[in-house]
Amino acid sequence: MRSTGPSRRALLKGRLASGPVPMDVSTVHISSAIVTVLPDLRNSILRRLSALPGVEIHHAESFKIVVVLEAEEAGAIGGRLAEIATWSGVLSANMVFEQKEQLPDSGEAT
Amino acid sequence: MTLSRRNLLKAQAAAVAMAALRPGRPAQAQAVAGGIGTLQIKWSKAPCRFCGTGCGVMVGVKDGKVVATHGDTLAEVNRGLNCIKGYFLSKIMYGADRLTTPLLRKKNGVYAKDGDLTPVGWDEAFDTMAERAKAVLKAKGPTAIGMFGSGQWTVLEGYAATKLMRAGLRSNNLDPNARHCMASAAFAFMRTFGMDEPMGCYDDFEAADAFVLWGSNMAEMHPILWTRLADRRLSHPHVKVAVLSTFTNRSSDLADIPIVFKPGTDLAILNFIANHIITTGRVNQDFVRNHATFVKGATDIGYGLRTDHPLEQAATGAANPGATQPIDFDAYAAFVKDYTLDKTSKLSGVERGFLQELAELYADPDRKVMSLWTMGFNQHVRGVWANQLVYNLHLLTGKISEPGNSPFSLTGQPSACGTAREVGTFAHRLPADMIVANPEHRKKAEEIWRIPSGIIPPKPGYHAVEQDRMLHDGKLNFYWIQVNNNLQAAPNNSHETYPGYRNPDNFIVVSDAYPTVTAMAADCVLPAAMWVEKEGVYGNAERRTHAWRQLVNAPGEARSDLWQLMEFSKRFTTDEVWPVEVLDQNPNYRGKSIYEIVFRNGQVDKFPVGEIATDYENQESKYFGFYVQKGLFEEYASFGRGHGHDLGAYDTYHQVRGLRWPVVDGKETRWRYREGYDPFVKAGKGVDFYGNPDGKARIIAVPYEPPAEAPDKEFDIWLVTGRVLEHWHSGSMTMRVPELYKAFPSALCFMHAEDARARGINQGAEVRVVSRRGEIRTRVETRGRNRPPRGVIFVPWFDASELINKVTLDATDPISKQTDFKKCAVKVVPV
Repeated sequence: MRSTGPSRRALLKGRLASGPVPMDVSTVHISSAIVTVLPDLRNSILRRLSALPGVEIHHAESFKIVVVLEAEEAGAIGGRLAEIATWSGVLSANMVFEQKEQLPDSGEAT
Repeated sequence: MTLSRRNLLKAQAAAVAMAALRPGRPAQAQAVAGGIGTLQIKWSKAPCRFCGTGCGVMVGVKDGKVVATHGDTLAEVNRGLNCIKGYFLSKIMYGADRLTTPLLRKKNGVYAKDGDLTPVGWDEAFDTMAERAKAVLKAKGPTAIGMFGSGQWTVLEGYAATKLMRAGLRSNNLDPNARHCMASAAFAFMRTFGMDEPMGCYDDFEAADAFVLWGSNMAEMHPILWTRLADRRLSHPHVKVAVLSTFTNRSSDLADIPIVFKPGTDLAILNFIANHIITTGRVNQDFVRNHATFVKGATDIGYGLRTDHPLEQAATGAANPGATQPIDFDAYAAFVKDYTLDKTSKLSGVERGFLQELAELYADPDRKVMSLWTMGFNQHVRGVWANQLVYNLHLLTGKISEPGNSPFSLTGQPSACGTAREVGTFAHRLPADMIVANPEHRKKAEEIWRIPSGIIPPKPGYHAVEQDRMLHDGKLNFYWIQVNNNLQAAPNNSHETYPGYRNPDNFIVVSDAYPTVTAMAADCVLPAAMWVEKEGVYGNAERRTHAWRQLVNAPGEARSDLWQLMEFSKRFTTDEVWPVEVLDQNPNYRGKSIYEIVFRNGQVDKFPVGEIATDYENQESKYFGFYVQKGLFEEYASFGRGHGHDLGAYDTYHQVRGLRWPVVDGKETRWRYREGYDPFVKAGKGVDFYGNPDGKARIIAVPYEPPAEAPDKEFDIWLVTGRVLEHWHSGSMTMRVPELYKAFPSALCFMHAEDARARGINQGAEVRVVSRRGEIRTRVETRGRNRPPRGVIFVPWFDASELINKVTLDATDPISKQTDFKKCAVKVVPV
């Protein structure tokens, strides 16, 4: 049989996968998330979180941290949260809210 | 000073997070509604598209596109939270390579198996499919046509598929990919309780004093439920968590009792715990006497391989693997007596102290225990046994069917329960736990479906792995795959799956939203609408039925699987596909289209389009001229009402965030089989396992039996496959989200550093993972989130460029026919 589409060779070589596909882009993304942590490692996780760009710690309890995240690229926030979710001592990092918007007047208004 | 727009949005985001902070408290009104009202986004509810947890999400639509999602604070399951995958829901429909037109393999303008996939119209695609299907039906009959569906089908799609196949085309060769996922769980429920699905619910997370994870890595696979579990553990110091796995994983971080056992020996550990309960005098005698009976199962039951395989030939119990015979408590106690602490510790490799601590969680009468499991138990050559052995522990101690005492089978797909199990899309099943082999059940289905007696065939069809074998062997020749990526998911796929798809005798149709490896191996590809591009219903792991509206249109010519099934059915008539003798006895059925029989039967088509909510689209209903989803749901629901499978009225499900069945008088049921919670348990009974005629559950005596394949001198290490946090199943959706792709771009071989060193392999080096079936190239990770012990590697299966299922073994549980993806022997070789 003449090969068309995916050949057996392509299958065996694993050459059938599509790479990532570009998505839409907008200007400002603002999200909030709840990070659940092992209490013993909370303080070190707070320090690591506060060192991340675009991350504000809004509230912290013994094993819960509420963070607000901001980024200019689509999905950068989710990528950052995915990274936080795999830190040692982080039990889960769950998104609560996200809004993306064009913000022509992104500076402080009075 | 007024807040800037940016700060306003930040304050809004923080306020919603604070509202969602404590999942245990009553759900509140949407904090988000007022704040985003000015943003001109229309918000509607839907269940998440990914796992079986069934989180509620709010979906924001602007200009015909989903632009935002967030966790639904009114949804009891997740109370406003969204895991990483759920967060990216708004993006899964917008990959640039969405399929937007049907494709057919053509050469010189006509269909050819060796042609190229060419864009065609729906009519040409369906006409070609019908021509092929009719030729196969004429030559070989209905056993040569088949369909492979999914726990991602909506309830309505699964119902339409099972009805089309069984009541229309007269074939039971319909199976879901849920066979790979939780068939073992479903069989164990039926064998133990006579009814499928858990007796408890997620409310147990806030009531249990101990959690035991049997092979489940909830931290990555069920992050929202894991958060509820972690909240309970961290806010109540007496609560204990035991995590059992064949390798250390992220769930182990929270474990008070971390246990890594040798693959397959969970069976021995379960019997040891039963023995411990008995020998320390902690059997709940009253409960056992009143609510349980004992049976002994057949042994040496084989491994579900092809019948000519030496292991099957040697297995003395392979002919009737599900057989049981009654025994009494004393015989059961004598049977498990063999599983001593010493023996079990040696066999499993688990320290004695951990085994004792684990056993005490179950034995202690004052501790409420929730057992949780998913693929570790289900994808197991003795998966039905493993499920049943954990029920033994809960039944011996009476720790069942009440808040916090809960053996709980988690699921991996959004409607594995709702569609695959409740609708009955397995090759042997009908709706509401009925089976095709039972003449009374067929009669009932034929009556509800308004079709003549004798239409539903009595013999179960081919199960998932058998379908691949029959395609390979040329006995199954027309095959339609919907909502799944089986060429990536099926075991031993380069020998048993791919050859069947490309077998010149076969015609393969794949309906999907994206060009998966399965779609690219098909002869005809149908572009599918997904998730909120259609109205639908899912059923989650806690018996919760949850509906959503169509919120956006699918791109191009893409249409829902439901539309595809219905439109295709117009191309067949009863005269073509029903036996002459049935038509002779029922002449009024002559000359009708299968579409008329299945979908225009006076029931499915009785609700007018005018009943659809005016502010939502519903493309199928407008096309066919009646409220398709409501008609299908109400006919389906008539199978289960009045006997413990009761669903509420269809319109109700659009108002609420799901209801857990049985729904009686509009009220859901949280704990089944317990008086006071379950309306089907009569006053004074206390507990009634009414799925079985005697009202009692079965405690089974079955032994430890070894896996189908174990490491030897050449293939010297265990391979375990599974999933990761960032990707869902075969990655067809999540690999198209750039951030998730970037977070975990390709599969890895997680391996113990000393195992790597012994083979001359450095961290990060490229290796070949080789079995007797096939091999892949990947890279070694010795420092990652999964930390196997020596002798075990873990490779996830989401990556289409590293198809680990070329390596796995197509051994199944002989009772459930579910594949064991967790245990085969490989070697790891430096490149």
